[in-house]
Amino acid sequence: MDIDDILREVDPTFHSIPQEQRDLQDLTRAYVAERCAPELLHYPPGNLIDRVHENIKRQIEMVEEMTGNMNPKTNFALIVIQNELERYRFILRSYLRERIRKIHKHTLHYLSTDELRSRLSEIEVRYATARQSRLHEHYMSSFLAEFPPQLQNLNDTAGNLNMIDSPDLDSAVFVRLLRDTLVESRGVDDDGLIEGKEGQIFILRWADAKPLVERSSAELI
Amino acid sequence: MPMYGDAGLKLVQHAKRTQNLTHLPPYQTELVRSVAKEVRDLHKDATNLLEPFLKVQGSFDPSTDPATACTLLVNHLSMRRNKRCLLAYHRTRTDKLEDLVWSGHDVLDLSAQQTGGESGSSSLSPQEEDYVRQYGDLLAAFKGHWTDIDLTGSLEPPKDLFIDVRVLKDAGEIQTEYGAINLTKNSQFFVRQGDVERLIAQGYLQKLG
Repeated sequence: MDIDDILREVDPTFHSIPQEQRDLQDLTRAYVAERCAPELLHYPPGNLIDRVHENIKRQIEMVEEMTGNMNPKTNFALIVIQNELERYRFILRSYLRERIRKIHKHTLHYLSTDELRSRLSEIEVRYATARQSRLHEHYMSSFLAEFPPQLQNLNDTAGNLNMIDSPDLDSAVFVRLLRDTLVESRGVDDDGLIEGKEGQIFILRWADAKPLVERSSAELI
Repeated sequence: MPMYGDAGLKLVQHAKRTQNLTHLPPYQTELVRSVAKEVRDLHKDATNLLEPFLKVQGSFDPSTDPATACTLLVNHLSMRRNKRCLLAYHRTRTDKLEDLVWSGHDVLDLSAQQTGGESGSSSLSPQEEDYVRQYGDLLAAFKGHWTDIDLTGSLEPPKDLFIDVRVLKDAGEIQTEYGAINLTKNSQFFVRQGDVERLIAQGYLQKLG
């Protein structure tokens, strides 16, 4: 028996709304993918995060309402709901933090082109830009201001060495195929081409797995 | 006689060591200054070296004078290397400071305590203190969007709703949905994890079991 089943029995508002359940599923999938992928993925489309956030808000309100009630039956339900709420909050928090961690690590990289920038949410872009400019000010006032002007940049590419660090797209990830598809991969000596079946699990370079994941032919695990 | 780049190397070693420390060692004001000075001196040298060429020919052709070209190249690379050393050192420290801000410590207070609070000395440079203050504001604003999930909360998956905690330092009275609890030192409570997470992170409470 799943926690959802228990909730459905004790909470009369739960059974008729499959949307919320789908949201949780989508969030969990986004969370797992974000944790597994070496680079920042797209912010989920369609206000998923806002909806989830709304749900959490509602749940918190409900918990507060129910707290006054000392009826042992609702009290048990309350504990179940709080448990669920804590887990829900954890997934969302952990998801957002993972994104922040990646943004921190390669801020300039993700802010450098429009394509990369579009992966961030509005709030994230604002945060990343503000942080980067403060960091730059900090470098400037600490030592960079004393440098000759042509050495003050933070995005030089002189000597074939890009100052902007970017994530390693060739690091390995595990994927599970969601449908039959052709799996192409580049190897060190030889490239591979495999007729993949649904449910099979592969270990691939992220760069090779990315198109599969984006087509929803595979999910990261 | 210290060589070019020695000070830069020392900075990087400091940074490397900082990565494994739980606290932030004092800011190396002197080292940073001498590395920055080295860059300025090197730049002056380079300008002086180039000057006669620019005056006579208007430009410098490396193939006519390989020796000068080599000196310029080495000069230039040294400057770049010093810049990288300085960036690495400062970035390591700001990363650490940001971590401290995320975990909810009062960084400015903490650094003053470490040095014994003598004559207002701090392990942070004035610029770093500024940065911490600004970053604290920035993070608070960012967190404001997500008040309901407590963005800086624990990243351990929640197992139990209620946990046993022991009070390590007097933390006064806290309000929970089951009433007020007075947290006096050495007492033990069975409380909702969400209510006391902050206090655990700040070291007032210890989680048992």
